[in-house]
Amino acid sequence: MAMDTIVCKKCALDSETPGITINADTGLCQFCEHYTPLSPQKKEEFKAQMDALFASIPKHGKYDAIMALSGGVDSSYALYRLKKEYPHLRVLAVQFDNGFISDTAFKNAQKFCELTKSTYFRLVLDNNLLRDTFKKAASSKDAYPGFAKYRASDMCNTCMSIIKQKLVEMAIHTKTPFLVFAFSPGQTEVPFVTLTKPFMIWIRKLFDAQLKTMGVAERDLYLMDQEAIAASPPDTEVIIIHPFLVWEYDKHQFKEDIIRMGWTEPDLQDPNSSNCLLNAYAIKNHFDKYHIHSYAYDQSALVRQGNIKREEALKTLHTKFSETAMKDVERRLNAQNK
Amino acid sequence: MNAISKDILQFLKSRGFLDGKSSLDEHESLTETGVIDSIGLLQLVDYLESSYKIEIPMEIITPDNFDTLAGISQSVMNLKK
Repeated sequence: MAMDTIVCKKCALDSETPGITINADTGLCQFCEHYTPLSPQKKEEFKAQMDALFASIPKHGKYDAIMALSGGVDSSYALYRLKKEYPHLRVLAVQFDNGFISDTAFKNAQKFCELTKSTYFRLVLDNNLLRDTFKKAASSKDAYPGFAKYRASDMCNTCMSIIKQKLVEMAIHTKTPFLVFAFSPGQTEVPFVTLTKPFMIWIRKLFDAQLKTMGVAERDLYLMDQEAIAASPPDTEVIIIHPFLVWEYDKHQFKEDIIRMGWTEPDLQDPNSSNCLLNAYAIKNHFDKYHIHSYAYDQSALVRQGNIKREEALKTLHTKFSETAMKDVERRLNAQNK
Repeated sequence: MNAISKDILQFLKSRGFLDGKSSLDEHESLTETGVIDSIGLLQLVDYLESSYKIEIPMEIITPDNFDTLAGISQSVMNLKK
């Protein structure tokens, strides 16, 4: 960090990051200046809304909810909590195997499915194509809109978009009304999203264009099935739920709770991920390209909301990555399956 | 540019979707110019609902209605009626 860098007095964003301005009078970044905390009344409304959604589930298919389960702290805890609060839910937990998931994360995901009596499904795509796509995401610039660069790295945005597309597709195929994503309250601001058919078509088109900008040729593999959307009734809806905008978010407590239940911490040498080996590489790649730490916005939002301490966020954001781990990821990215 | 479009533009700037110096034509595509994506759209919808005390039905969130400042402000005006 340069000597004249100014760090926001409240969060962890700094003046070195493109697009971040620190007000000289208040010492605050533009996000802290415009921040309005969520009122307890609003939180109660969200809780009532989630209760109501899960109380009247249309029973068309085999499952009530599909959950994106990475096997990391947040999603493992979210699955446990979901089934604790709504034991009647029939959950299909989907773990996306992007080729870089740690063995421990696979074991954790399966363990938590057994524990919660949820159905486990490992989503596997062509590994060679995936690696090529991640490499294209790493070497591309500006495939995603400006603000998406603050939300996640280009590599993680690509991976998360694939997961969203495939999970919506699975929800349509299995007639499952709800999708659950364990995003932190720093990663998303909207607790419930209703995907209508026109909106699904639009988000498919947007991701298709982003993949095309990156130079990805085999795009249909990553996009939701166009024919399935077209064949679905006009009033088809899938509701996305982000439960951490409803529940309190305390990662340390989550970790303590799930470790007690048998969750094992993987040795990833990455303070930002407890499941994916690619994450640290993706953060470094993003920082080298844009000078933006892809967790700075998330961590700063968590500080602003009072979910973590500023010192903790600064420590997380300034952790050096292991050169050996970076080289290992690079080697794996360039490997080809026989 | 009408007041609603100006307000949306201000929201996009204050939330980092656009830098402070940039401007946008009312009829430019927000998605094709790379200002916003699906998640950004949802944040914008959330902002419009709370600022204008309206409920935006998801079925109207289509490229025809929600991809330009002009389209969004027209949709907001229709819903306020």
